[in-house]
Amino acid sequence: MQHKIEHGPAFAWLRVQLAHGDSIRAEAGAMVMRTPDVQMETHLNAGYRPGIFRVIWAFFVALLRKLLGGETMFLNDFSTTGASGEVVLAPSLAGSIVHKRLQSGQRLFVQAGGYLASTGSLDTKVRFGGLRTLLGGEGLVLLECSGEGDLFVNAYGGITPIEVRGSLTVDTGHIVAFDGTLDFKVGSVGGMKSLFLSGEGLVCRFFGQGTVYIQSRNVASLASWISPLLPG
Amino acid sequence: MQFELNYRPSHSLATAHLEPGETLRAEASAMVSMTRNLEVHTSFRGRPGAGFMQSLKRGFLGGESFFTNTFTAVNGKGHVSLAPKLCGDMLVHELTSSHELFIQGSGYVAAPDSVELDTRWQGFKGFLSGESLFFLRALGQGPVLINALGALETIDLDGELILDTGHLVAFTTGLEYEITKASTGWIDSFLSGEGFVLRIWGRGRLYVQSRNPGEYGKTLGPKLPARQQ
Amino acid sequence: MKYEIEGSPDYGLLRVTLEAPGEQVVAESGAMVAMDSQVEIKTSARGGFLSAAKRKILGGESIFQNTFIAKAAGQNVWLAPAPEGDLRAIELARGETFFLQSGAYVAHLGAELKLDTKWAGVKGFFSGVGLFLLKIEGPGTVFFGGYGALHPVAVGPEGYTADTGHIVAFSSGLDYSLRSFGGMKGLFLSGEGLIADFGGHGTIYLQTRDPRLLADFLHPFRSVSSSNNS
Repeated sequence: MQHKIEHGPAFAWLRVQLAHGDSIRAEAGAMVMRTPDVQMETHLNAGYRPGIFRVIWAFFVALLRKLLGGETMFLNDFSTTGASGEVVLAPSLAGSIVHKRLQSGQRLFVQAGGYLASTGSLDTKVRFGGLRTLLGGEGLVLLECSGEGDLFVNAYGGITPIEVRGSLTVDTGHIVAFDGTLDFKVGSVGGMKSLFLSGEGLVCRFFGQGTVYIQSRNVASLASWISPLLPG
Repeated sequence: MQFELNYRPSHSLATAHLEPGETLRAEASAMVSMTRNLEVHTSFRGRPGAGFMQSLKRGFLGGESFFTNTFTAVNGKGHVSLAPKLCGDMLVHELTSSHELFIQGSGYVAAPDSVELDTRWQGFKGFLSGESLFFLRALGQGPVLINALGALETIDLDGELILDTGHLVAFTTGLEYEITKASTGWIDSFLSGEGFVLRIWGRGRLYVQSRNPGEYGKTLGPKLPARQQ
Repeated sequence: MKYEIEGSPDYGLLRVTLEAPGEQVVAESGAMVAMDSQVEIKTSARGGFLSAAKRKILGGESIFQNTFIAKAAGQNVWLAPAPEGDLRAIELARGETFFLQSGAYVAHLGAELKLDTKWAGVKGFFSGVGLFLLKIEGPGTVFFGGYGALHPVAVGPEGYTADTGHIVAFSSGLDYSLRSFGGMKGLFLSGEGLIADFGGHGTIYLQTRDPRLLADFLHPFRSVSSSNNS
């Protein structure tokens, strides 16, 4: 299988060349176009190989993901019936796509909504960044990705990797992904007063060694910016 | 008349340089700026088959505009800079008498008088896809300025392709199309998020955009303050 | 201190490096993307209570700004504007003035920089919407963002005309008059479309996309609130 990220960084899409036997999994709605010999199969988004007897649990987890993370409930698997085939995938918002090759033993946390596609035996588990965040209405819903394979992550805006030097504070709406080697804690930016007055929503503090991938735009900020122009 | 394009591909701006007496027709909402010596006339372009008030409302909300502005340079050269509603690329398609161009409603920006626009072509009419697919038919000759949500990919097709309908910007004669289910099963087609797709075949050119306006709206819309009605 | 703008012109992202303890940058609330750990945030109402309150009542600009102060050497603060688009820096000399649409302000450097609201009243660009012009006076550096690319136009003796939805900023030395533009009346859900005829000598910064058109586009996708709201 070969892949190419085109039209980056602003409105990137992912072009995948499939050989017989190759398969790529993508979030529902991501397909732009495909050659006629590529076929699509739809699965519930509840982790890799849920097994027949876990279908009900899988449906529940998928529904939970959708309600909390804005992530779609279904994933599509694309493979080719012929010798080769091509499929092009794109996320819904403006922004970049980055490719990460995970080795067994590695973990990468991806903010829900940031998952575009993956191959191989990657496992994705839903993790919440603190129960408090859910109660506050601000979701930090994360997908913990592990296993071996290719992962394609998309962002709103451009993606900038930042090396954590001891500690780093990031607005939760700007997190795309981060290495599993980092410790993290979600909280307000600096005490109660700042939470209400500073305009920053929740932040995530990272500790240890690793890389945090940030996106340069944030849906919540766009919403407040466009609000005065919306009619009632 | 010459189109100059800047800030491609994400925030493209098109500037039409007009010779004295030259005229350009553009969607009313597309004007960014212009030299002060341009004469502007506004006309209403009706859409047959729809009630006036209803189409007026839909016209401003559905990505289709009903007003066109005509810019003419007087007393010398002039220019007008144009942009579409959403971020993305623009390009010029040189229309000749050898073919016609079918442009998805919000994909059209501007063209000179030598290009005729037919709004009566129904295209995908009668199909319940849930998406409003309104296409303009452009014929004649001259440069046609089209826009995309996202990047624009030019495909010279000689064969067949399956395409998500929201990603199609424009296509030329020589291509045939059929709306079909995304997947073999009805349930899968619905759950897959793809819904209905276009099967396009033949020999011709199509323009594809790297984002789907419907998906873009559905992702951002719910995050905005709720509306009263 | 130093700064760097990356991702231009697609999605401008500003990184300010506060090199020595005590150095600071002021930003619009909500602009912070990330920051190193040895940075303190102070929330304040800039320019005294009255002008901040005036800003809030008039809409658009947040009532508070954040001041980021370095507590150690070499601390980075990453800041971003809200819309998809570019970010620019303008260095203003002492006494040099600059007019900026309130929604476009991102941050500034320089303790002596003055940010005043200039209520354009009936001559406001977005009539009826409550956005207004900020009058900024140097010395200092101002960072602003726009929807789309930021396109500078030098205005000379022939003057220039621009759609008000696309005007982000302009230098001093320019005057303008507003008029409605054929077919634009009632074009936007948010109000009448106006254009500005500029005269004088200076630079206009245009954004290549109009936020009102984005608002119109997104409006039908909003969820409908339940009728029990009062």
